[in-house]
Amino acid sequence: MTYSVRSATVRFGATVALDDVTVEVPAGSVVAVVGGDGAGKSTLLRALAGEVPLDGGTVETPPKQRLGYLPASSGSWAALTVTQNIDFVAGIYGLAGDELAARRAELLDRASLTHAAGRLASQLSGGMRRKLGFVMAIVHRPALLILDEPTTGIDPVSRIDLWRLVSEAAASGTAVLMSTTYLDEAERAAHLVVLDRGRILVQGSYDQVRAGFAGVVTQAGQPVRAEWAWRRGRVLHEYWPGGDPSTPSSPPTGATAVAPDLEDIVIALSLARRNTVPA
Amino acid sequence: MTGVLLSASHVTRRFGAFTAVDDVSMRVQPGEVAGLLGANGAGKTTLIRMLLGLIAVTSGRVGLLGGPPDRERRRRLGYVPQGLGLYGDLTVRENLSFSARAYGAAEPALPPALTPHAGVLVRELPLGTQRQVAFLAALAHAPEVLVLDEPTSGVDALARAALWDTIRAQAERGAGVLVTTHYMQEAQQCDRLLLMSDGRLVAEGSEADIIGSTTAVAVRTADWAQAFAALNAAGAPVMLAGRAIRVANADPAGLAEVLKAAGIEASLEPVPATIEERMLMLARGTARGTEPRR
Amino acid sequence: MLDMRAMIVKEFRELVRDRRTLGMLIVMPLLLLVIFGYAANFYVSSLKTAVVGPQAAQTAKTLPPFFDVTVTEPAGTQADAETLLRDNKVDVAFVTGQTPVLALVNGSNLFAAQSATAALNKAGNQVKTQVLFNPDLKTSWVMVPAIIGLILTFIGTIITSIGMVREREAGTLEQLAVMPIRPSRVILGKIAPYFLVASIDMIIVTVLGILLFSVPFNGNPFAFALGAAIFLFVVLGLGVFISTISQTAGQAIQTAFFFLLPQILLSGMIFPLEAMAAGVRWIGYLLPLTYFTMISQGIMLRGAPIASLWLPFVVLTVMAVVVFTGATLRFRRDLAPGRPASPADSQPAETETVSTA
Repeated sequence: MTYSVRSATVRFGATVALDDVTVEVPAGSVVAVVGGDGAGKSTLLRALAGEVPLDGGTVETPPKQRLGYLPASSGSWAALTVTQNIDFVAGIYGLAGDELAARRAELLDRASLTHAAGRLASQLSGGMRRKLGFVMAIVHRPALLILDEPTTGIDPVSRIDLWRLVSEAAASGTAVLMSTTYLDEAERAAHLVVLDRGRILVQGSYDQVRAGFAGVVTQAGQPVRAEWAWRRGRVLHEYWPGGDPSTPSSPPTGATAVAPDLEDIVIALSLARRNTVPA
Repeated sequence: MTGVLLSASHVTRRFGAFTAVDDVSMRVQPGEVAGLLGANGAGKTTLIRMLLGLIAVTSGRVGLLGGPPDRERRRRLGYVPQGLGLYGDLTVRENLSFSARAYGAAEPALPPALTPHAGVLVRELPLGTQRQVAFLAALAHAPEVLVLDEPTSGVDALARAALWDTIRAQAERGAGVLVTTHYMQEAQQCDRLLLMSDGRLVAEGSEADIIGSTTAVAVRTADWAQAFAALNAAGAPVMLAGRAIRVANADPAGLAEVLKAAGIEASLEPVPATIEERMLMLARGTARGTEPRR
Repeated sequence: MLDMRAMIVKEFRELVRDRRTLGMLIVMPLLLLVIFGYAANFYVSSLKTAVVGPQAAQTAKTLPPFFDVTVTEPAGTQADAETLLRDNKVDVAFVTGQTPVLALVNGSNLFAAQSATAALNKAGNQVKTQVLFNPDLKTSWVMVPAIIGLILTFIGTIITSIGMVREREAGTLEQLAVMPIRPSRVILGKIAPYFLVASIDMIIVTVLGILLFSVPFNGNPFAFALGAAIFLFVVLGLGVFISTISQTAGQAIQTAFFFLLPQILLSGMIFPLEAMAAGVRWIGYLLPLTYFTMISQGIMLRGAPIASLWLPFVVLTVMAVVVFTGATLRFRRDLAPGRPASPADSQPAETETVSTA
């Protein structure tokens, strides 16, 4: 079962949040969406959840009963304990009694939250709260799981835990769509989508994206063209798109080329769009 | 600017029976970007609040610009908390005007990137732009010390690079910058790293110093899901990176046995460990070269 | 000092942007002044009067203009007069055919009754005055039924609105929207606890009022309960509505306050409606508490049957339907903007394809 949005367009007043976007989320795989502010990540996720009406295109999404969603905000009820949170959500999806108790115990164990079962959600650390939100989103074994920036601002160890949970969900057949600002997470996904101001810059597996990337990235202490350069650690990287007569097509001789990683590719493509397309 | 900008000397902070910061000593010099790393509950925020003079130490001494962190010295400090400290219902210009006056400085000029947003309410700006405004507010009075709490959280790659540009420029200007981050790739942007765990400072220096003697083994296999499940079930500290599975502080032979028992074919290769793996091991309390846990 | 000035400037700027607080600071005092000016009037200028018994019409003519005779029943008896009062059709009923003439006063309309007894005392031995329903003209007897309504209003609007806004503030509204629970069930599920607590509160206050102040309960408790239930629906619906137009609990409280304050002043609880200038009185007739007070005072003090209270019952029912429907529609918009309403929720299909354009 593959869920998707096809040629989806969403407008909020005069702003085009999504512009002819097609993304497929097959069962058993993780699709990661990256992009900056206003790129349309949240809108895409909410469109697939059926939360945002489309102004064009179609959505293939499961009924609410088979959908799991973790919003960018807290994801849990602060005044309830971990157990009460899970029970509430499970109740809405129709889980009860022994089945609920077993599922709850299993999920708390997988998320390493068993020791905090009686703690109020408001007293959990950010990472633990996010894991709780995740547990609540999969308690009913959804066919499609949508996670909005699940690891933003979370400590590295909790991030590892969350990724383990996401991988396990995908491994058991769930289709997972998640948005992230962390490119190392996008690298791990089976399929990644780079959004910029409502449009898809590039999508595919990491290898495909790398293979399809045109142009050269160089490294230097000083930029040649400031609007095509960005900082990486102590040095600056610069992008030479090539093939476009309006921009300088090749770096000056002697410039050191680097093998671009995903961060380079994403930044380079964003700059390309910014510098050649009128905003 | 000379002298140590920020310092902590055997600083301890207790809350009742709980020790949040335990005998920590560190310093930040002019011109450097120091990265403070650690899991939640490691004591980073408490340490910062003591350095800023927001809470008192239980024992030890903190120093801000050569003395106690009093109000006068805090005038020469720029601080961007995690919540940005901006007023959502005021415009960009109004926010900058207020914070400049509060520090007794002139209102900063807006860079070209922010000029179109000058009259926009801060709460209506995207996060990356809000962070830029918060930076600008903190820098308006030309501080000698900058303390930034997770300055790039939630921000995309391009905007992150731009923010780090600003941070680096400040360091080059001679200011000392203390940054906390959860994103280990940013650790490479720092000149020096400090790793806290359970209130203690467990490592300091370069990335290699932080990683210490942690090791890792990369497991490459077509059957990554099965391999992952098998190793996880065996209790190994597993994580995913790229297409490979990584196991921290593991003995390759032991892993090979687990995988063979599960009928999985895989190649194992020792690889340099990452900071995340060090932190994972600290969290599990079984780091080699053990730090005693409380 | 420059930094303090910057602080002052900042606060002013934030205040100017906060329209609800501004409303409270500027509009509220003006409103209060106007209302007090035109509404605050304890003196009733004329009383609806009935004359019952032989020579009713002639007796009616002899009455001073203060007594506005609206009913004359030459064939009526004292029992008829009492029924008229119980049904709140008149404030005073004269029963002729005896000497001295008997004047029955409706004690549940406190200020009218006080004005009546003051006027009747001047008639001396010609008239024997008897105050029904509240013989000692105790304020507490009239206030307690009104306060019951006030408590229900308070819980219904302020507290319910906060409870709903909490979800929006915490960001959990989004999650509720994605879950398979229908918006109407979310609302009913959320207000059920408040309904229960309000009902218990009401029972406690009623019982306490009866015990502490000896307030009578002459009427049908089921009718009372029914009236209270309908009224609760109105105020709970108001609470839900307020929550759909507020972003924070603070805003919800402010807005609820706007709804609450006029009801305290203009529902007849403090100043009698008849005494208010017509320009302000009509506001009172728009307020739910006005009608509940009619029901509670009618049942508790006068033992009035539902039939005589049909007007407040009908009005409250209409209000309940309108407010609740409006609030639910608005809330549903918050909860489910994208999905089509019923088909998906009632038939579990493997997928649904939603297309537009």
